[in-house]
Amino acid sequence: MKNKIIEHISGIIFVTLLLFGFLSFYNTSRAREQERQSSSIRQFIEVPISNINDPFQRALLKDVMNVFYPDQADKNNQIINELLSTKENEFNKKLQKSHLEEHLSISKLQDLLWMLVKFLFTYIIVMLLTWYGVQTIAVWRFISKKQALERKLQLAFKKEKLSFGKKTGSIFNSIFKSIVYFILFSPAYVIAYSIRTEFNTDSLFFMIILGVISNGLLIMYSNKFYAFLISESRKGYLDTALVKNLNSSYLYNSTSGIPYSSIFKFRKNFKGHVFQHIFQNARFQYLSTIKEQACFLITGLIIIEMALNIHGYLNYEMLRQMLYKNYDVVIVIILSIFYTVKITEMLTDFLVYRESLKYENRS
Amino acid sequence: MRTDRKNTFLQSFLSSKDQLWTVIWIITIAIVGIWDLLFLNRPALEKVITGFINTFSISLLVVCFTLVLSWLITLGFHFFEQKHNHAGYVALTFFLNLLRSIPQIVGILFGYVGIAALVDKGILTGNLAVFPCLAFCMSLFIIAEVVDLMRERIEHFKKLDFYSAMRVCGISESRIVNFDILWKNSRLHIFNKLIAVFGSAVFLQCSVDFIISVGLSTDINPVSLPVTLGSLLAKIDSKQDILAIGNTLFNPSYLPNLLFQHLQGITVAFLIVFSLFCINNISNGYAERHRL
Repeated sequence: MKNKIIEHISGIIFVTLLLFGFLSFYNTSRAREQERQSSSIRQFIEVPISNINDPFQRALLKDVMNVFYPDQADKNNQIINELLSTKENEFNKKLQKSHLEEHLSISKLQDLLWMLVKFLFTYIIVMLLTWYGVQTIAVWRFISKKQALERKLQLAFKKEKLSFGKKTGSIFNSIFKSIVYFILFSPAYVIAYSIRTEFNTDSLFFMIILGVISNGLLIMYSNKFYAFLISESRKGYLDTALVKNLNSSYLYNSTSGIPYSSIFKFRKNFKGHVFQHIFQNARFQYLSTIKEQACFLITGLIIIEMALNIHGYLNYEMLRQMLYKNYDVVIVIILSIFYTVKITEMLTDFLVYRESLKYENRS
Repeated sequence: MRTDRKNTFLQSFLSSKDQLWTVIWIITIAIVGIWDLLFLNRPALEKVITGFINTFSISLLVVCFTLVLSWLITLGFHFFEQKHNHAGYVALTFFLNLLRSIPQIVGILFGYVGIAALVDKGILTGNLAVFPCLAFCMSLFIIAEVVDLMRERIEHFKKLDFYSAMRVCGISESRIVNFDILWKNSRLHIFNKLIAVFGSAVFLQCSVDFIISVGLSTDINPVSLPVTLGSLLAKIDSKQDILAIGNTLFNPSYLPNLLFQHLQGITVAFLIVFSLFCINNISNGYAERHRL
């Protein structure tokens, strides 16, 4: 655990230094470029000209230059042209970028901090919902599969055929499932634009919903959890559990089965049932994939904020600042996202470490 | 006898989900293509075809780069460990964990912005130069998963007797790792992972292009990067087509118009979502068929 913490902290230090190094390199090279451009007219840049388009002022400047530097009329003309075009560019830039150019200041940092708080709030809520959703969907799928097997066995003995109603029901069920799968696999921007005319898609609530259901996050990780459940259910210790007379039926209405409500509880518990051990072992394996899930979830949230242009949110702000080339603000935002991922990784490592102590009887 | 054989082939084909979904994917895309050929205007159709081909070409390149890079990194890990080169091992771990901690979309977005700048300066010209750069940039942020899988496989086989037995027989370390472990005994696992990588590449490619086209279009010249399904979806006419879906939800009689008047956006969105859906089913089916 100590090694992992050292690794995380050194990662944080490395990235922080790298990004600030990049920022200082960028600022220095930009300053050098500006200096190089204005080197020939540097001594004249402070010459006061209130209106560069005024022919009288231009003529006056020319005369003054010729008085101060006689016998170089051509050079004077060149300097005046350069000076006027530099002043014009500066004026235009100021006009165009007056509302776009931003630099890090206390008030900007406060704005960014508020955006980060909103981002973290969304992230934590979506993480908790997906944590619950992934496990619930996987458990429900696993139990349904086991029930189908049990039913198949019963039907094989009874030689009963499916009724027309049941067949139609299963067709509708398949269609419904396909639609749900389609939604779960849709990128967030497809879902959001599909319903944008009817709903307000710029709210925090909608962002949370999109974060949970879109980008394939829920389905991908519930598939992973389901795979862990399946691989655990094939292991030998289950035979020992059966010999010890633990409940093994997966039917809801059976006394030795699994109560329907227990699937949907936040803290899932299947005491006395063989599935409890399958679930616990699968969850332990799932814990180590949380890092990966958190990174993917953050990717999803960034996509949502950037693609939907949701104003006042951290990642949209990053995109906006990238566009206006305010790289100091961009770097602060990137660092805050990186720190979020790193803190999640540290917490996950701690959780895995604590669980492994329990499993290895070291706690 | 012949009919029996045909039936068995059909049954085994239908029972293997991956093959079934591959066929469903190809047939559906062909049907969509025919529909577009009939009802979508020529310039839009050409754009959709180019976007589709570009997206899938880049994604295929991502798969190739990911395979090569992760294989090399895995070998690096193995040989650093074998030769007790602690510094090399720590450096490689540090690099890989760093890549893991950067959200994929952020890394790829900055990579794409850099590539677009190179295209604008004329350093990179033509799809032959741009595609590999885009693919390389994306694969950097996907390799961690494949490296983990390859390392897990090597670790698993190292614990078995056959590894020590082969070494005692004088077989070289590199042959055992490259041929006997990774190729002979893990290629199904690696292939399954690569299918998932292909899906991730399609998703990330479309998302980054959508973001760039929506948010950075004034900074990045739209012709700097190749047309993909993501950038096509971000175009105003495609967006309007997608917005029409919302109208249909509360006004179902508008549904037929989606298939004729809003075909460009609907086709692009459908191609993205359906491809992701099918790739996931193919990957799951493949894992199920080979009990991975």
